[in-house]
Formats: sequence, structure tokens, C-alpha cells
Amino acid sequence: MNTLKLYLRSMGILLKCQMQYPLSFMLQTLAQLIMEGGEMLAVILLVDRFDHLNQWNAGDLYFFFGLMSVTFYLTECFGRGITGNFPYMVRTGQLDLLLTHPRGILTQVMCSAVDPRRISCIAVGTVSLVLGSRMAEVRWSPQNILLFAESVFCGFWLVLGLFLIEAVLCIHSVKSVEIANALTYGGRSACQYPVDVFPRPLRMLFTVIAPFALVMHVPASVILGKPVFGWPAWAAWISPLSGFAVFGFMVFLFSRSMRFYRSAGS
Amino acid sequence: MSYIQVRDLCKRFYVRKKRSSESFLREKETIQALADVSFDIDRGELIGYIGPNGAGKSTTVKILSGIMTPDSGEVRVGSQIPWKDRKSYVKHIGVVFGQRMQLWWDVPILDSYSLLKDIYRIPEDAYRKRLSELSEALNLGDLLRTPLRQMSLGQRMRSELCGSLLHRPEILFLDEPTIGLDAVSKLALRDFLKWENQEHRTTILLTTHDMEDIAALCSRVMVLGHGRKLYDGQLQDLLRRYDRRRTVEIRYDRSGCIPVLPASVTMQREGDGFRLAYQPETLPTAELLALLQQAGSIREMTVQPQNIDYLIAEMYREMGL
Repeated sequence: MNTLKLYLRSMGILLKCQMQYPLSFMLQTLAQLIMEGGEMLAVILLVDRFDHLNQWNAGDLYFFFGLMSVTFYLTECFGRGITGNFPYMVRTGQLDLLLTHPRGILTQVMCSAVDPRRISCIAVGTVSLVLGSRMAEVRWSPQNILLFAESVFCGFWLVLGLFLIEAVLCIHSVKSVEIANALTYGGRSACQYPVDVFPRPLRMLFTVIAPFALVMHVPASVILGKPVFGWPAWAAWISPLSGFAVFGFMVFLFSRSMRFYRSAGS
Repeated sequence: MSYIQVRDLCKRFYVRKKRSSESFLREKETIQALADVSFDIDRGELIGYIGPNGAGKSTTVKILSGIMTPDSGEVRVGSQIPWKDRKSYVKHIGVVFGQRMQLWWDVPILDSYSLLKDIYRIPEDAYRKRLSELSEALNLGDLLRTPLRQMSLGQRMRSELCGSLLHRPEILFLDEPTIGLDAVSKLALRDFLKWENQEHRTTILLTTHDMEDIAALCSRVMVLGHGRKLYDGQLQDLLRRYDRRRTVEIRYDRSGCIPVLPASVTMQREGDGFRLAYQPETLPTAELLALLQQAGSIREMTVQPQNIDYLIAEMYREMGL
């Protein structure tokens, strides 16, 4: 519990830091809104032109887009330490200072940054979700609400886990490697569409390696009443847990890698 | 048994060389950052750790503070090994890097301190007591409500020191704490370190390039070069060993007088006088004085020991660094 308290207090201080520059904050939030609005526009244009993609019609597509956008940007907002700052901390030796504190490294990295500008992206995602669930006539039963919450929650840890790949790589080679972005940002761009619209290799990639399909598409398709892969409904309760598995595995690799941490500079 | 024990510490780094034209593969170059370094430090000692850039000082500090794992060798601090069980070990140490700040940039340092209180799990009353003691000793006062970004370098360093001592560490590692500070800030910092060392028997290991720091604070110094320990003992003994030259400044009644001196003495004009350097071992002072007097009547003259920085430079040269 103490860790959670530390996290919340750190967030408080970081927000205070950000609010020292209110104009810059507002402009950047606006920029994010335009960026994510553009992403949504792509879906709107697609729907306008084709009106359905395989068995998915407009409402379904908005729903998938919204789910990805809310999950991904919640992670970028609250997990900014891992999704954004870590390579920089390794390169500049800022990580040394964290190592001299009696707390876990990942805890402290999580506590080191927050990105409230993402609020505009989350807002776009929410709009898309509401629009999608209206159009697809989703029934918000307690079960569906719970399943949705589980998907977002597990998605948070999945995205964090994928960002840890870059963290692990940059411990070993100090200079960060962009290869991990293919799975994180690439995964976000691809998996805002349901996974079964892709060819088999991509489907495998986003089911087995970066299981966005298991964490988001399986439960979302059940909520929409069109189970993907022909899986039974109860599978949707289990498959999102793969997000935790990815995160746990990456934490394991991360702590192994920290033994090889070489620090930087004097 | 001494408090800090270091035995045969080794650490190598691999640096990738630029690809050469002959070989297609990249070659790796090995840098021996530490080679069989051993020493002991007792509780309450204040030790200076010197050596040219790249000697391995920072590497030693990083290993001792649990940031890095050595390739081989033993380190024991109290009953603990720094890189094993890092979290419980670092509760007892404080680290200040002269070039890195741990406090938050944009908020008043008091906010940073209260977050450090949570990080170290310091009880409220102990925290209050320690903070008021430190802010008085470091003269922080009004600064507590100032964000770090509005401070001068000297103020920042004082704030950092306070932050790293809030949890009452038994050992304090300082990596070039006076780098870039003005004279007043340096003196204040030295006074504080002396006070903290005497008042709380805090063991302090200080790496620096500023020999004045060492002379003012440390009776014991360790010299490191190319990853090897070259000297460990009293600063005075070290200086005596290399302190062979004296500098003389001299001015004659008439400006036309030029002394004739043997080649072992270097001489240069300075203003209307001369500055010379000689070695009393090869040319006794009495003989030099006789030669100087032959040139004319002396108006004034001072004899000075060598500047400590020159001494160290000479020492590094003789040690082949």
C-alpha cells in the first residue's frame, strides 16, 4: 500500500511541475487532440467508403478503435516513466540516482513521470467508444461492464510490458533501439482494427507475441455479440490475462538485465 | 574488522571500436576500470579519493553504492554486500553526484524532501528534527520554498546535500561535489562536511579534482590511476614525497639586474622582477641566495612551496599516468 501512496504523491508533485508551464501544457494537449482526432478520422473515412469490414460494421469498428485508444493512452499517461523516459534515464545516468534509493527500480521509474496531455487522446477514444456502442446497440449489462473493465486493465499492463522491451534493450546497448516501437506503436495502429481482418502472419504476431487480440479483441467481440475466432464466451474472461503474462515475463527479463547495467558517464 | 572492506576489486568495460578499414567485424576494446583494488575504511573516517579523469574513481563509488556489480572481488560494508540486497543496503548510505541532481527541478525543494521522506520511509518526527538541523547547518532557510531551477549552482549543491542526508546515512559518498562552485560556496560546503563528519561520525568518501578540498578536509588520501591503487596514506607524507621544488619571487633595487643561475633553475621575467623555481636538493638555498645577491641588491623576495595542483600533476607524471 505504501508503494501506491508513493506513486500518488509522486503524481501530485509531477503535476505541480507540469502546471508551472500552463501555456505549453495547453498547446501540447491541443496537438495531441488533433493527432488522435486524425487517427479517428481515418476510421470514419473507412466506414464511409466501405460501411463494413468482414463481419464488422461501423459501430463495431468505432468500438474497437475506442477501446485501443483509451487503453493505450491511459498507459502512456500513467506509465509515462516506462513508455517514455526510461531510455533517457539510462543514457544520462539518471537511473544511478534511483538505484541509490531503497525502492524497486520499476516502482521509481513509474513514479518518475506522468503525461496528463494524453487526456485529449483518451477523450477521443471515449467519444468513439460511446458512438460505437450506441451504433452497435451494446447492452451494458454488469457482465459486459466487468469484461470491458478487465480488458482495459489487462491492456494497460500489456502495453507497459511491451514498452519494457525497449527498456531491456537499452540497458544492454545503452543507446535505445527503435525495434520495440514496431510492437508498441505499430501494435496500436494495427490493432485499432479487429485482428481477423489481417493476414495470418500478422494475426499470429498480435495473438502470440504481442497479444492485443487476446486482451482486447476477444472480450470486445463478445461484448459486441460477435465472438471472434469462434471461441466460447467464457474464453473472453481468461484471454485478457495474457497481458499480465507479458508484463510478468518482461519484468523478469528486466530484473535479470539490471545486473548488466553499466551506468553512464562519470 | 574495519567498517568498509574492499578486496581485489576488478571491473572491466568493453567499448566498441570504430570499424577499421581492414577488418569487417567490429573489434571490442577492453578497458580495465579497476584492477585488484583493495582498501579498508573505518567508521567515521573522512577520506579523499583522487586520480586523473578515467582513473576508476566513479566506478569505485558506483560499486560501493550498489549501482554496479563488479566482475570479481569482495566488498563488505558493515555486514552487507552492496550489490546484493540493494534495497536494504542503500538505506544506510547517501550519494551525491556533483553533476546529477536527484531533486525535482520545478517544485520547491521542500516538496522534494517530503517525497524523499516517503521513499526512505522516515518517521515524521525524525524527519522534522533532521530537516531543521540540516537546513540550519546548510543555511537553507528561505530556499526551502524555492524551486531548484531558480537556484544558483552553490545553492543547488547545498540542497542536494541536505536531500541525501535526510535519512541519516552512516556513509556519504560524494562524487566531485565542489565542481563548478565559487570560492564562498566551496568553503561553506567544506565546513558543512567537516561538521557532519564530526557531529554524527558519518563516514565520508570524497572524490574530487580539487586538491584544496582534500587538503582542507582529509587526512587520508587514496590515489587511483589506470584502475590501480597507487597510494594510500597521509596526505602530508604524499606531498612531502613530491614537494621538491620551491618558487622564488624576487625584485632588485635596479631593474637592470639579471642574476646568472645554473641550468637546473628555471627563470622568467615577471613585471619588474623574476619568478624562479629551484630544487633545494640539487641547489641548496644558501647557494642560490649567494648567486642572487651577486647580481645586485635585493629589494624584496618571497619563497613559496609549490602549488598543490602542480604537485599532483607531477605525481601523476611520475606514476606514469
